[in-house]
Amino acid sequence: MARISNRIRRLRFDNNEMTQEELANRAGCTRQTIIALEQGKYVPSIELAFKIARSFGVTLEEVFQYETGS
Amino acid sequence: MAPLQKRALYSLAIGLIMAGVLAAVLVIKGDVTAFFEDENMRYILYAVLIGVPLVYLVLVNITLRKPTQIDERDKAIIEKSGKAQWVAIVLSLAVWNIALTEVYWEQRQVPVDFLTLIFVSVLIISPLAQSFGILTGYWRIGKNG
Repeated sequence: MARISNRIRRLRFDNNEMTQEELANRAGCTRQTIIALEQGKYVPSIELAFKIARSFGVTLEEVFQYETGS
Repeated sequence: MAPLQKRALYSLAIGLIMAGVLAAVLVIKGDVTAFFEDENMRYILYAVLIGVPLVYLVLVNITLRKPTQIDERDKAIIEKSGKAQWVAIVLSLAVWNIALTEVYWEQRQVPVDFLTLIFVSVLIISPLAQSFGILTGYWRIGKNG
């Protein structure tokens, strides 16, 4: 079964421990959505995914990974 | 708790209180016809009928315009809550239909007061069901992802 995972928590830590609130403001979403993303409980739209990646100054695939199970 | 989730919770509580107050007033007045014979009560009800949808519309628009209050995840939940709203309205109309048909079968006519009462019930049930749909939407996201 396919799954989309992310490295948001790791990237926040690597970016001077950016807060969830700060990332939410930069990406234009609520803090609760960042929490849901980090917990793997929500898959964002392409637009939000790009905004999050740009907030960290990295490419989309450095944040989100598409994993296909065997 | 997300801002929209909080609002849905408040809305559910206020809606339940409103429904309770309306039911209490009808019980105190004795029956539906007696309630509508009171001119003041009728005018208050007309004001509520026009005022509630307008206030609801303005509040929803204000909420939807704030990007920090609501985002794509919340909007997806709002869209899905429409299903709960639709089911609740259809069910309530079905209950009205069956109840009035059974009660007034012999007379072959239903008092006109019920038209307003049906509208008021839909007016209360609609935001209640939407709030319920929003709250279950957040619960489902939290549970299943």
